[in-house]
Amino acid sequence: MTKQQDNLAGELSRDSILDAQIPSKTMTLNMGPSHPASHGTVRFLVELDGETIVKIEPEIGFLHRGFEKSCENVTWTQCLPYTDRLNYVSALCNNFGFLNAVEKLAQIEIPERAKFIRTIGAELHRIADHLTATGATAMELGGFTAFFYAIEARDLIWDRVAELTGARLTTTFGRIGGVDRDLPEGWIRKVKDTLVRVAELRDEISTMLTHNRIFIDRMRGTGLMTADDAVNYGFTGPALRAAGVDYDVRKAHPYWVYDRVDFGVPLGTHGDNYDRYYIRLDEMRESDRIIRQCFDMMEPGPIIIDDWRYVLPPKPHVYSSIEGVIGHFKLIMEGIEIPKGETYSYTESPNGELGWYLVSDGSGRPYKVHCRAPGIQLLGGLEHMLTGSILPDFVPTFDTINMIGGEVEQ
Amino acid sequence: MSAAEQKPLVNVVVDGKPTAVPAGTNLIEAAKTVGVHIPHYCYHPGLSIAANCRMCLVEVSTAPPGKLVPGCQIPVAEGQKITTDSPRVKEQQRAVEEFLLLHHPVDCAICDQAGECTLQDYFQEYDYRPTRFDTKKWMKNKRKDLGPTIYLDQERCIMCTRCVRFMREVAEDPVLGVFGRGTTEVIDTFPGKVLDNNYSGNIVDLCPVGALLNKDNRFRARAYFLTATPSVCTGCSRGCNTFLDHFQGVPYRYRPRENMEVNEHWMCDHGRLSYHQLYDDRMLEAAMGGKPAKAGDALLAAAKALRDASAKAVVVSPVLSLEDAMAVMLLAKEGLGLDEVFVSGRGDGAADFKLLREDRNPNRKGIELAAQGFGLKLRPFAELTKSKPTAVLLAGVDVPLDEDSFASWVANVDTVVALAANQTPVSASAKIVLPLATHAESEGTFVNFDGRAQRFLRAFGANGAVKAGWQWATEILAELGFSYRFGGAFEVFDELAKRLPAGALGDFDWVKAAPRAVVKGVTPLPGGTVDGRPPGFRELIPLRTPATPVVELGGGSFPRLPSGHPAT
Repeated sequence: MTKQQDNLAGELSRDSILDAQIPSKTMTLNMGPSHPASHGTVRFLVELDGETIVKIEPEIGFLHRGFEKSCENVTWTQCLPYTDRLNYVSALCNNFGFLNAVEKLAQIEIPERAKFIRTIGAELHRIADHLTATGATAMELGGFTAFFYAIEARDLIWDRVAELTGARLTTTFGRIGGVDRDLPEGWIRKVKDTLVRVAELRDEISTMLTHNRIFIDRMRGTGLMTADDAVNYGFTGPALRAAGVDYDVRKAHPYWVYDRVDFGVPLGTHGDNYDRYYIRLDEMRESDRIIRQCFDMMEPGPIIIDDWRYVLPPKPHVYSSIEGVIGHFKLIMEGIEIPKGETYSYTESPNGELGWYLVSDGSGRPYKVHCRAPGIQLLGGLEHMLTGSILPDFVPTFDTINMIGGEVEQ
Repeated sequence: MSAAEQKPLVNVVVDGKPTAVPAGTNLIEAAKTVGVHIPHYCYHPGLSIAANCRMCLVEVSTAPPGKLVPGCQIPVAEGQKITTDSPRVKEQQRAVEEFLLLHHPVDCAICDQAGECTLQDYFQEYDYRPTRFDTKKWMKNKRKDLGPTIYLDQERCIMCTRCVRFMREVAEDPVLGVFGRGTTEVIDTFPGKVLDNNYSGNIVDLCPVGALLNKDNRFRARAYFLTATPSVCTGCSRGCNTFLDHFQGVPYRYRPRENMEVNEHWMCDHGRLSYHQLYDDRMLEAAMGGKPAKAGDALLAAAKALRDASAKAVVVSPVLSLEDAMAVMLLAKEGLGLDEVFVSGRGDGAADFKLLREDRNPNRKGIELAAQGFGLKLRPFAELTKSKPTAVLLAGVDVPLDEDSFASWVANVDTVVALAANQTPVSASAKIVLPLATHAESEGTFVNFDGRAQRFLRAFGANGAVKAGWQWATEILAELGFSYRFGGAFEVFDELAKRLPAGALGDFDWVKAAPRAVVKGVTPLPGGTVDGRPPGFRELIPLRTPATPVVELGGGSFPRLPSGHPAT
C-alpha cells in the first residue's frame, strides 16, 4: 500500500463516516484572455482553495506588437501614431506625453497656446478614461445601466475630440514643437455644453453606484493596498492616491499650465476598490474645472514653434519656394533631427505616471524608446492585492486598477 | 600619400580640439581629423582649389581681426586656432545658403539628386529659414544637352565649377567653361565642342546639386530609396572600387568609391554602364536542350555527361570571381581529372590614358593564380575548338571570339554545360545551362591587373534558380562523389586559397578586406511593396533601362536668358 492509499484508508476508517474530512486539493482555474467578467485581453492563472485565491498569476502578451522596437525604425514624428495605441482610451495623453519627452530632449519650449490646447486635450481624455473605468466596473459587477451612462458621456467627449483631431480614438494629435491645428471654430462653446451633459451623466452614475448597497459590498474593503505597499509596488495614479499617497505628477512636477490652474488632488484613505472608484469620480470633476479654467485663460497666438528644423514649413512655402520644399523633404524623408542625448520625461496619464525614456543618436530616428506604462506596475501588484481574498473580488479589483492591454504589452 | 606623411606635423586647435596634421593640409581636412565638418561645395580633394562657393569660410586666429578665411584654400599654421561654430561663421554659412537658393528652382520633387543633395543638407543644417526673395527667379536652360551622356540643368547649378575643373584637370578634355557674369552665369560647352568623354559620368557624381544628370539613369530612381553596397567594377582589369546602388533587387547605377591606390575618386563611363549586365537578358532558370528545366535535373544531367564523356574540357572565364574560379578548377582537377583548362572571357578593347585597360575582364590575374595553385595549365581559348572535346564545362559564357560562330561550334559538341549569367547565343546553343549569379548577387574577390585582391559584397539576393559559380561547381562535385561542402564564399576561399602560390595575394585578409560602408536606403520598406504601396504598383518602376530616345525640346520657346547671352 502506498502512503496515499494508507492515508485514504485511515480517513475512511474513522468511527463515523460523517467525521471524515473530504480530501481536497487546490484547483487551478484559467481566467481569460477573453472573460465575460473582465475587460482587456489578459489571462490569469488562478489557484483556488475553495473560493479563496491562493495564487494569481497574470499572463500578458496577447496585445504585444513590438511598439518600442518599431519606433526605432521610423522617424520621431512617425512614432506618434504608435503612441495612440498604448492606452487607446486616452490617446491624447500618450501623444502629448511622448512629444513632451522629445521636446525635453531637443530643449524646445512650446508656445503658450499649445500648452493650453495640450492641457485641454489631456483632461478631456482623462475624463473619457475614468468614465470607461467606472462604467466597466459597474458593468462587470452586474450594473449594466451605469455602463451605458458612462459610454454616452464618453462618446460625447470623443465627438469633441474628433472635431479637434479628426479621430475619436487614434488621434495622432500634436507635433514636435506644439500642436498641428488650432481649436475649431465654436469648439469651446460645444465643449462647455458637453461638459455640462457629462457632469449630469456622471452624477447619475454616482447616484446609481456610490450609495448602492450591492455595489458597496463588492467594492469596500476588497482589493486592499496599503500606502507603503502601493509605493513599493511602483503604483502611480488613482491606485496610489486611493491608498492615501499624495502624488500627482501634475502637482509634483507641473508641466504645461498645471501650475497656473486651480485644481485639487483627491486622496483616498483605505486603498480599496471603493476608494479607487470614488477618486476617479472626483478627478473627473477636477478635470472639468481645469478645462473651464483653460478656456478662460488661453489667448490667441501661435500653436507651434517657428523653427524649420523641427516643424514642417507652412504649405504655401512648400509649394512655392525651394526653402520650403527642402525643409519639408528633409523632415519627411529623413526625420526631425533630435540632438544627441537621453532623457526621461513623465506626465500624469489617467492611470498614473506615463514615463518616456528616449535616446537619440542625433539622427532623424529614435535610437531607443522605452515607455513606462502605469499599468504594468498595477498589474504586478494584483497578486498582492488578491491573495487570500475570494474569487469574486478579482473582478472589481482588476477593473479599478484599470490595466490597459495596449500600454502594458506595447 | 607617403610624401605628405613625411611632411612635418603642424599643431592646430579646431573648435577647442587639438590636432596635428602634416604641413600644407588645408583647414577642411584638418578639421576632419577631429570630426568637425566644415561645409563646402566647390572644394574636392581630387581637384584644384577654386574657393568660389564661400561656404567653407571660418575664423582663424592667424587672420586679420574680423576676416573670415576659406577653409579649402588656407593651409594650417603652427598654433592656429580654427573656429567653425562662432555666430559670425554661422551667419556667413546661412547667408551663403540663402544666396545660393535665391534663384534655385523649386525642383526637389522632380530632381534626381533629392536625398543626396548638398544644397538640401546644408539648408537644413545651416539655414532653415524661409526665403526673403519676392521677385521672379531667373530662368535658364533646364535641358542643356552637353553630349551623348550628360544633360545640364543650368537653373539648378550653383557655379561651384567642379565639373569645369574635372574636365580640365582629370579628364584632360577641357570642353566645359563658365559663361556670363553674376546671376546669369552658366556652365556650358565651349562653342563647337561636345562633352563626349569616357570620364563624363564623374561630373554627375561631383555635382553637389542636381544640375548635371546622367542620361542613363535620369528620372529612374529616387536616390534616398537606393541602398549603396560596396562593390568592384567588372568592366576591365583595373578593378575600380564602386558603390552598387540598388533598390529591391534592381541595380540602378555604379558610383566610384574612393580608393587612392586604384581609382582615386573616379571611374570611367565604360565601367559605369556595365551594371546593365547585372539585369539585362539574365539567365534565371536552368535549361536543357534550349528548354527551361528543373535545376536539379539539369545538375544531374550535367554531372552525368561530364563524368561519362570520353574527352572533357573545362573553360573558365576571367569574369568569374576568385572563389568561383577556384571551385571550378577544383572540379576540373579532382572531379574530372584534367590537367589543363581553357580561358575564355571578354575580348580586349582599347585602353585609354587613365583607368580603362585593354583587358576587359576583372579577374584574369585571379584565374592565373588559381590555375597555378591547382597545377592546371592555362590554354588560350582559340585552342578549344581544335581539341575536339565531347563534353565541355563552360564556366561563364563570355567569349573573346565571334559569339555566333562559337555558338554553332557549341551546338555541335555532344554536351556543353554552361554556367551562364546572361542569355547569349552561346548559352542558347549549350545543351545544359545552369544560371549563374553575378557579382551583385554573390560575394567574393577579384584580383586586378596589379595583383591586388579586392572584395565585393553581395548587394541583393538572387532570383529564380540562380546560384554562385562555386555552388554549382561544388554540387557537380558532390554528384561525382566528392565530399566538399562550403557554407559560403568565405569557406571556399578559406579552404582553397591555401593552394594558391605562397604570398600570391600579399597580406590580403578575406574578412578584414571587406568594405564596411554599406549605406542603407532612407526608408526600409516592407517586402513586396514599393513606396509602401500595394504590389500592383511595382510595374511603375522600370525593371529594365528603357531605350528612351534623347528628346531635345525646341529652342524657340525655351531659353529665357537675355538675348546676346553666350549660352543662348
